[in-house]
Amino acid sequence: MKTVSARLWNRLSSINLTVALCLLLTMDLVWGYFCLNRRTALFTPLNDLGLIPWAQTYGSHNLLATGWFFLLLTLLALLAVNTFTCTTSRVAQLLRAKGPGGWQRLALRLAPHVMHYGLIVILAGYLCSYLFTQVLTSSTLTPGSHLSLPGSGSQVQLLAVEPEYYQGERLAFWKNEVIALRARLLLSDNTGQREAILSCNRPVRFQGYSLHLIDFAPKSLNGMKMKTRIDLHVRKDPGVALYLAGMALFSLGLILYFYQWIVHREAHR
Amino acid sequence: MRMFNILRPDDCILAMAALIVLLTAAGCNNDPSATSSAAGKNTDKERPAFLQIGEFAVNRISPERTEVRDGAGRTLVLIPREAPMPTDCAPSQVVRVPVRRVVAYGGFDVAVLRALGVLEQTLVGVTTPKERWHVPDVKRGMESGRIAFLGDAASIDYERLKQSEPELVLTWDPSIIPLMDDLHIPVAVTTTPQAMCLNARMRFVQFLAPFFHKEPEADAFFARIDAALRDIRARTAGATRQPKVMWGDIYEKRVMVEPGNAWVGELVGLAQSNYQFEDVFGTSCIEITVERFLYSGQDADIFFTYRSRDMGATSKAALARLNPLIKDIAPLKNGRAYAPLPHYSQSADKLDEILTEISAILHPEFYPDYQLHYFAELPDADPVAVKEKNHDHI
Repeated sequence: MKTVSARLWNRLSSINLTVALCLLLTMDLVWGYFCLNRRTALFTPLNDLGLIPWAQTYGSHNLLATGWFFLLLTLLALLAVNTFTCTTSRVAQLLRAKGPGGWQRLALRLAPHVMHYGLIVILAGYLCSYLFTQVLTSSTLTPGSHLSLPGSGSQVQLLAVEPEYYQGERLAFWKNEVIALRARLLLSDNTGQREAILSCNRPVRFQGYSLHLIDFAPKSLNGMKMKTRIDLHVRKDPGVALYLAGMALFSLGLILYFYQWIVHREAHR
Repeated sequence: MRMFNILRPDDCILAMAALIVLLTAAGCNNDPSATSSAAGKNTDKERPAFLQIGEFAVNRISPERTEVRDGAGRTLVLIPREAPMPTDCAPSQVVRVPVRRVVAYGGFDVAVLRALGVLEQTLVGVTTPKERWHVPDVKRGMESGRIAFLGDAASIDYERLKQSEPELVLTWDPSIIPLMDDLHIPVAVTTTPQAMCLNARMRFVQFLAPFFHKEPEADAFFARIDAALRDIRARTAGATRQPKVMWGDIYEKRVMVEPGNAWVGELVGLAQSNYQFEDVFGTSCIEITVERFLYSGQDADIFFTYRSRDMGATSKAALARLNPLIKDIAPLKNGRAYAPLPHYSQSADKLDEILTEISAILHPEFYPDYQLHYFAELPDADPVAVKEKNHDHI
């Protein structure tokens, strides 16, 4: 039994498997490029439905266009297993043969493996996001209206929308178009109230939720007069902490690797 | 060669076997309702459990619950009228079906209600005044007071809307959602950020059908449009000449066109013609640069303008006067230009006729003696101008 598991472990940690997976990933992503390009609407709901409901509906009913995505998940899962087994084998080797130089030298030699573990945590974070994120889709706010965050007793009110219009001369067709938008929000909970600014690449975090600006109107001073509104996605994403932790781990590995590289270079001068 | 040395066959087999197992597992589902979904049909009604219509979707969870995704990506839960209120969603997301009272913002939505055969029984409010309606049922309803004019879409009389007691509002304007939530009136957004493709345009009726329990009518409508499309494909298959088509217009300094992903662009391609804005992607009536419009107009054969006669599209000369920038595009100089007739935008229930008419315009050689019903070919000059010119000659 031990031999079988040892053989399986060796196979899973094989560099050959890594190369095979990378080649398959490349081919799969080429297939995915064409599917994404031609059937974008199929994949948009993945952002708010979550992986399982999406797979049961959009995914399973359009396998020709979505098959590459399921394959991608499988390949990434295998790559994560391959990376974990390969890295763990190497780390175990390094721990067994610590050699001269003590813990500091060992820590430096572990640098690439710390990066590999970081990558696995990042992948796990994204999987966690797609599996467990709660999303309130397209919540619309007009000035003065408010939105209740489920299960928290908290409210978000839109105080004002502050658009910035293009006033340059170089891009005539952009004249009077909104190029940036700031939405002033009033966030209220049991502890009090505070103001926050929401914009396109600046989500607001509040009570474990993140508020993302998805759309707004009007987008121009010209043309059809639209009433002022912003559309939000309100997300509660447990994966964020994981992939931030993964990024921190990856950065730590990178710093150690860089430090080791400098030490190595100095030693050989 | 070295690569083959690196990749041992048993590793590849291991990877492929794991893939197949996991892929099969991903496709499996223990939920019986989902199994019927995967099969694509409900056993009892032979109807797909899940239907994607462009950016819209209909998901039949159970006989008592259907979830639909509207054009804004919001989920609405359809439940029978007598069913208890579900606890897993906000009350404003719940629509009791079949819906008996509807407010519709657009002519397109009203036409779809007509296609489903529910217009007379359900429509209680519109945002277009009676004089601008070309649908007899709506005109009659407004005259009898059954259908109320709620004010222009930009300035709705919400008191009047509340008095109409709608059970559903069909709109293109999401800004009314917060107020409608306060009034406990569910809203379905019927437009999408991206232009509707031909398939979505044909199937949109199947998105609204579950609101009224009119799925068979929706299927019949779709079959009719599908038959028209097959006919177009068959008739135009032998076309040796592929006219170049542009669809849009210039308003002051803004140029708006139908993008290539819109149903118009797809139809033009399907009818053996070339759409000049095929590479433009985005929302319906999308803005492009004047230069791009004029460049595409250099060698176009046919121009469809958004403007109707009452918006000044009475002749090619009138269009050129409205905007001198376009006076030199080929369709206005030596090609053909068409304007929609006033009832065109309210005739989505005659989509088969509209598609056929567009095909007949593109390839008149395959439609001898075809009479236009939804578009008018623009003469070179206004009849009045011609008269004045004649007068001058006299």
